Amino acid sequence: MLLANRGFVNDAHSASSGKGMPGVRVLGTSIACESTVAEDIQSGIDAALGDIIAALTRPLTAEEKNPQVQKEPQPKVAFKGTLRRFNEFFYRKGWGDGLPLYPPTEEAVAEMLTGTDLPRDHVVAKLIPRLGKATVEKIAVNAVMAGALPIHMPVLLATVDALADPKTRFDTFEVSTGSWAPFLLINGPVRKEIHINCSSGALSPGNMANSAIGRAVGLIVKNIGGARKGIEDMGTLGNPGKYALVLGENEEESPWQPLHVDLGFKPDDSTVTVFFPNRYTQNVPGQTSPEGLAGSMAGLGIRSLAGLVVIPDHARIFKSAGWTKQQVKDFVVKNAPRAPGGRGGGLKDEDFILVVAGGPGVWIGHHQSAGGFENEFVTRKLQLPKNWDKLVGKYRTLVPTYVKY
Amino acid sequence: MRRLLSIAAVTAFSVVAVHAPSGSLAAQQTPETEYEVLSPWADVDPIPLRGLSPRLDTLDGKKIGLFANFKRAAKPITDEVERRLKQKYPTIQTSLFHSTLPNVTETETINKERFAAWAKDMDAVVAAVGD
Repeated sequence: MLLANRGFVNDAHSASSGKGMPGVRVLGTSIACESTVAEDIQSGIDAALGDIIAALTRPLTAEEKNPQVQKEPQPKVAFKGTLRRFNEFFYRKGWGDGLPLYPPTEEAVAEMLTGTDLPRDHVVAKLIPRLGKATVEKIAVNAVMAGALPIHMPVLLATVDALADPKTRFDTFEVSTGSWAPFLLINGPVRKEIHINCSSGALSPGNMANSAIGRAVGLIVKNIGGARKGIEDMGTLGNPGKYALVLGENEEESPWQPLHVDLGFKPDDSTVTVFFPNRYTQNVPGQTSPEGLAGSMAGLGIRSLAGLVVIPDHARIFKSAGWTKQQVKDFVVKNAPRAPGGRGGGLKDEDFILVVAGGPGVWIGHHQSAGGFENEFVTRKLQLPKNWDKLVGKYRTLVPTYVKY
Repeated sequence: MRRLLSIAAVTAFSVVAVHAPSGSLAAQQTPETEYEVLSPWADVDPIPLRGLSPRLDTLDGKKIGLFANFKRAAKPITDEVERRLKQKYPTIQTSLFHSTLPNVTETETINKERFAAWAKDMDAVVAAVGD
């Protein structure tokens, strides 16, 4: 039998069902999560002792002895109705994210599938915790719901593949109390082709590619992976980054070679790099000299996996003074204080990426994945369909054009 | 004039089609238009289900495993369970297994065989996850 905080009983049942043992007896206790108070633990066990003994001795029910497979009816068509009723139905089913959804009609999904040459029944991955089959079609359905375009499909397909890589530790981060959120960094020509914002306000709402891709990933995680809030996704406080945390490297304004080239990809390749931060801070450097900028980065308390975002003006300051990207990273590693709770051995070069993005200003961005987990950055090359140029041309003018006032 | 209007109409349609993420909503005419929508919920492959082990008639003299995961409260919780069970059943035996890695199922760690042997040797197991 299993003892868990009473808020985790549903999560424990879901987890045991996912392992093929739906009958595991779970007992919710009053003990605070990760309690360090002996009296709290003693009183919690005192109150639970009778139930603990009963869980070990009460005879099994027939269902506990021989659990039956509950077949879920999976109709391809989920609903028919007006836009409002469709949204209400999906919301009640727990298939949404709280914002209005775009209706995934067969026609809309077929259009979304023009963004890939893969067959619609191809299984890209099985996503935890439910091990839902992320077929190309299901990815497309969720992409339509998020308001994504067919030209976003290559990023979504590569991202799903990356999530399934154990190195991301998606299994932990997507459901954990720490509310880690998938961060997607896009590199290569695709950024411009699909209008990823790499400059001013790149992480703010307002750009379809950044917003819809991030939103689609959130829906995929929920509807394909089955990570539902408060049941499997036990994020204590949650994270607005779960709506969308998509950034393109500002390669055009960077004096250094972009991340994907650092990683061995060709400049003409397009890639997505995935990791799971659960904090995002913006910091003003004490000085804008190279030493001042690098010193400020070193003082950010980087631990575990992190992404540092350097704005183009600061990158040019480094470049003018002869600093390479690697020299900046070396300085940060050398001067970073050993933060408590990080990985053993202090900060290492592979613990963080340094990318150039954002617009004019003075801020340094810091995406931090807290905890001492053995996670890594995972990068995937995007696979573009044969009709890519034509597809890109179809949406070439779909960009915001603001009036002057 | 008719030809010009036709061109204008085609152009206007093209703009709508290009600016809409999908043709379906572009075709929306009224709030009462109905949409037949596909399910976003994924299929899963069925997994074999296992029933629970038979329960014990009594805890007297039994060997109870205490499994603690990596969270800091787990071990103090199993310690307290052990203390209280031994108070109530003086002949009970206990054995602790502490998890190997954070957030990794024990059967997927390098200690999976040791864990399986430990579990097999127990009459029952109480697990604490610290949350």
